[in-house]
Amino acid sequence: MSWPLAIGELHGIFRLLYGLLKDTGLPQPWLDTVTYIVLSVVVFGLLSVIALFLVWWERKIAGHIQQRFGPMRNGWHGWYQTIMDGLKLLQKEDVIISTRDKVVFFWAPVMCFVAAFLAYVVIPFGDGLIVADLNIGILYIMAVTTFTVISLLMAGWGSNNKYALLGGMRSAAQVVSYEVPMVASVLAIVVFVGSLSMVDIVKSQSGLVFNWFIFRFPFGPIAFITYIIAGTAEANRTPFDIPEAEQELVAGYNVEYSGMKFAMFFLAEFINMFTISAVAVTLFLGGWNGPFLPSWIWFVIKVLAIVLLLMLFRWTYPRLRVDQLMEFAWKFLVPVTFANLILAAWMKYAGWYW
Amino acid sequence: MGGLRTEEFIVNMGPQHPSTHGVCRLMLTMDGEKVVKIEPFIGYLHRAIEKICENRTYAQCVPIIDRFEYVTSMSCNQVFSLAAEKLAGIEVPERAEYLRVIMLELNRIASHLIFYGVTAMDLGALTPFLYGLREREMIIDLFEMTCGQRLTYNYIRIGGVSRDIPKEFVPQCRKAIETIRDKLNDYEGLLNENPIWLVRNKGVGYLAPDVAIAYGVSGPSLRASGVKYDLRRDDPYSIYDRFDFDVAVRYNGDCYDRYLVRLDEIKQSIRIVDQALDGLPEGPIRAKVSPNFKPPAGEVYSRIENSRGEMGAYILSDGSKKPFRVKLRGGSYNQLEVVPVIGVGGLIADLVAIFASLDVIMPEVDR
Amino acid sequence: MTGDELKDYVARQFEGRMTLLDTGRFDPMYEVKVPDLLEVAKALRDDENLKFDFFCNLGGVDTGERFEAVYSIASTINKLRLDFKVMLPRDGAEIESVQEIWPGANWYEREIWELFGINVKNHGNLKRFLLPDDWDQGHPLRKDWDAPDFIRMPEL
Repeated sequence: MSWPLAIGELHGIFRLLYGLLKDTGLPQPWLDTVTYIVLSVVVFGLLSVIALFLVWWERKIAGHIQQRFGPMRNGWHGWYQTIMDGLKLLQKEDVIISTRDKVVFFWAPVMCFVAAFLAYVVIPFGDGLIVADLNIGILYIMAVTTFTVISLLMAGWGSNNKYALLGGMRSAAQVVSYEVPMVASVLAIVVFVGSLSMVDIVKSQSGLVFNWFIFRFPFGPIAFITYIIAGTAEANRTPFDIPEAEQELVAGYNVEYSGMKFAMFFLAEFINMFTISAVAVTLFLGGWNGPFLPSWIWFVIKVLAIVLLLMLFRWTYPRLRVDQLMEFAWKFLVPVTFANLILAAWMKYAGWYW
Repeated sequence: MGGLRTEEFIVNMGPQHPSTHGVCRLMLTMDGEKVVKIEPFIGYLHRAIEKICENRTYAQCVPIIDRFEYVTSMSCNQVFSLAAEKLAGIEVPERAEYLRVIMLELNRIASHLIFYGVTAMDLGALTPFLYGLREREMIIDLFEMTCGQRLTYNYIRIGGVSRDIPKEFVPQCRKAIETIRDKLNDYEGLLNENPIWLVRNKGVGYLAPDVAIAYGVSGPSLRASGVKYDLRRDDPYSIYDRFDFDVAVRYNGDCYDRYLVRLDEIKQSIRIVDQALDGLPEGPIRAKVSPNFKPPAGEVYSRIENSRGEMGAYILSDGSKKPFRVKLRGGSYNQLEVVPVIGVGGLIADLVAIFASLDVIMPEVDR
Repeated sequence: MTGDELKDYVARQFEGRMTLLDTGRFDPMYEVKVPDLLEVAKALRDDENLKFDFFCNLGGVDTGERFEAVYSIASTINKLRLDFKVMLPRDGAEIESVQEIWPGANWYEREIWELFGINVKNHGNLKRFLLPDDWDQGHPLRKDWDAPDFIRMPEL
């Protein structure tokens, strides 16, 4: 079987542990199961840290854009502010509203959280640092990120509240509409590479910087831009954050949630944002390719750059009205991305690339 | 699509709502996403200012009238003092008039900066709020230097102003308005040509000029519909006829124009403050007003141009030292009256944009 | 049109319907009788030389013996301003609504009904406005209104 972890500095420990595990004489299926469980737990832990870091970072970035400092008290420049906020949310009363559909109300945040995490099975954090290199990598990610639609609808419905229902339906409509341009942008790259596997896509961008798909004119930059726009809408961030528009429907679909359930929605949003950025880096910015530094450091730098871009969008632009948002998706992005897809396919077929 | 039964439902917006600019409750009757009827419910901020003033002497009324519209409380003081001075026939000294104009125009700039921040925030751009308030801090520092207060100033008294400005005021004031003039370019660059801002504001909430006048809408909201009516020009009070400024007018009457008119007004106010600082004479700052201020019996209605429109004070005096009746009129009252007329037919998101662009402040409505 | 010209013009056009009260050096104040209110208001708005289209203020006054409703109007075209008042008895005070002429007067009339008890005919929407919806403790701006020691809080 192929090593789930291969080259890299971290692998030493895991190789040792794997060796130890093998020595205990477990049969092969059990060995694989334990291996994958351990890897998933590692990724889960990593993601929790990433989520906490992103929340802190967003607040600092927001602060500095707005000419103020952001959190400063809890630790050096407020680094453990998020941990404190998490502890506070744990202590909050879990308000159980009187609703007929208690099951739906309970499972909505769980689904959102799970759907957000599931995508990280195939994200390559570095050269060989991927939990499972599925040969349907990017298709799997697109499929799994769609689960969040169900959880939004469940949250809206189970809250027994007009506002939440409106917010949930708007959110679902928005996410579903922006799936189409997102998938079409991704397809332009996949058509070019010829494989759905994430590792293959990154490997085809190795070498010079100009191999990165963002530099393959003309379809590369167009696909990148449309992907970022569609991704911002998928992650429900401004300028597409109508579902959470505080000023209009007072927090939309998660208005009835408090305490840890609310924290789950909140963290899931940041994890989604990280997913979108990670996929953008893998597809367009060369994944973990880069000179001198270890591959995972390059990955982290690039992903944080895209996350910074998304954060800058949020704190600069006003938000679009819901019908303008849908109009933009259907009347502008869909034709552009389809034309781009045809262009990419044509260029690959005719061999007009280096 | 016959046979599909649709129902109108009622959504309650407020009183606690992040974008109703104070406590105002709007009952919206909606047909799907469109607003069919709007019914405002007010009175959440009613403090019975008029009744209280009937039991206070004129000097004691001034700080209470401050709270009538606390965002531009210099204007509230001014309108009341104007009315009382008309009643008693007091002539305000020159230096006091110049100081009054400087303070009024600085307050107008501060109020429009708040408008800029809050309107952007209501539409989702969260950063301009911080920028607007950062500039307003400079103006508030000037006010604090002069009268000790940041929000409700109690500075413009009957007969003049209460204190003279310290000597750091003039250089700091010039520096402040220079900075604001520069930063205005940033503000315009951030939002004016932004496609999202345009698509949210252009063509939204059209207010026809005859509808506006019929409902008594005044101030920048009226001037954005093409009616060039500014009380500083058309019914001059104080010494506004000595200053050279333009009346900012736009002709489309939608939310975008109301936003642009207020940014233009900031520029014009900066001009007036510059001229006033140049021409500031020496002299007394307050006319001799006896502590037992008893204006003769009579009634007077005085009005000024506030940043929200026409602000008026009607005082009926019966010769005693307490006013017999004080009726205050604020510009936001009429602008809230016109919201049910222009807000229908759009989505809630448009209603938020319209409400923000009309610059309604609830204390003026509720008194 | 200056102030004196306005006085002469009004004296000519509205003879008998608007009587000038003696106000000394203050702005002129006219009195309009209750039955004439609507037609005077219409004439003020429609008259070619006056065109009073802007409604400034409507305030109620309780002078102890009677009620008064004081109107202030302005013209955005001719840059004029005019005040007039209507004298009303304390019991059964009633005036016509001028909201067809100046729609902005709608809320002002609602307010004087609520705070003074002056009934406004043909208004269509005389509901509680500034006070809580279930207020039943009188009309506060009257001079003989005694503020109770405890105000009952509205039902939530």
